[in-house]
Amino acid sequence: MTVLATLIDKQDNVEILRDQIAAILVAEVANQMALATGAAKDPADWKLRIFTERSNPWEQFIDPNEVGFDPSPLVNIWVDNMNYDPKASNVMERQKTEAVYNIDCYGFGRSANVLAGGHTPGDQEASFEVQRAVRLVRNILMAAENTYLQLRGLVWSRWPQSINIFQPQLGENTAQQIVGARLAFRVVFNEFSPQVVPETLELVAVDVIRTEDGEIVLEADYSYPLTP
Amino acid sequence: MSLRTIAEQDLATILEDGVTGFGWPITLTAPDGTVGALTGFSDDIAQVIDPDTGQAVSGRLASAALRTAAITAALPGKGLPVGIADAASKPWLVAFDDINGNAYTFKVAQSNPDRALGLVTLLLELYTV
Repeated sequence: MTVLATLIDKQDNVEILRDQIAAILVAEVANQMALATGAAKDPADWKLRIFTERSNPWEQFIDPNEVGFDPSPLVNIWVDNMNYDPKASNVMERQKTEAVYNIDCYGFGRSANVLAGGHTPGDQEASFEVQRAVRLVRNILMAAENTYLQLRGLVWSRWPQSINIFQPQLGENTAQQIVGARLAFRVVFNEFSPQVVPETLELVAVDVIRTEDGEIVLEADYSYPLTP
Repeated sequence: MSLRTIAEQDLATILEDGVTGFGWPITLTAPDGTVGALTGFSDDIAQVIDPDTGQAVSGRLASAALRTAAITAALPGKGLPVGIADAASKPWLVAFDDINGNAYTFKVAQSNPDRALGLVTLLLELYTV
């Protein structure tokens, strides 16, 4: 037996927030690059490439000799889990939701000659790159202006639950150095569900009158007997 | 002649036959810039990396295998290649072409010498000269 009269044609807020996190990061990274240019610094040091819900293998780092190769860190935002708090919800309409988004960052490093002497080790470079990426992401999302992720009224709070930086495993002596880091980002917000579509039984017009002594009096007109 | 000595001589035939075998020209550069032209095995193949995020990253595994005796003959007094961790020093470099003639230069990230047989396997990482 079907009871829902309307098509569920919407995104849940957990999806909207995932896209909102990505949109904030894309906009702020571009802004940071512009600010770096204005401060006579290399904007590439502020560049991140933002993705959502990607699970295909990254191929960007496979051949640094390719034309157009971009060594900027990758950021992938994906929904990990959601928990619903019944104490702060109601059974009809609204569920207070606590979602964890994994914001995975990937830093690429390549050993390079230093003309003045020595070299830059690729393993260290990859770690520095991924730490730079996760630093930017945390600072942007935890900025005071983003307390409610620019969705005040929907978002209760956001918090960086943890940051894990993964050392390359023993035996993975790959030609390119890649280090991953995960920022587990917790967001508390309202999730809504479809409601009963109300049916009009009778239209009632009411005049509200405040008397001299402050008493409120309602005056309504009914047609009687009620028309079906 | 002991079997072990014979095995080392066989290694020369297996590793360094660039005409009818898999031998491939490899250039080895010591940290002081001394260059040795050698023949050995070179590998540069695709490999999937998991940086522990659960997301695979396409990667490469590059390595070279060289005869110890050939290294010491080409680069006398330089010792065997090792991974150089010190950023203030130059690393050991390995350069070779792929089968299509594209040149690549690598840094020696790790060396696995087999002193019983006289073979050293070098695990390589990409290097910008």
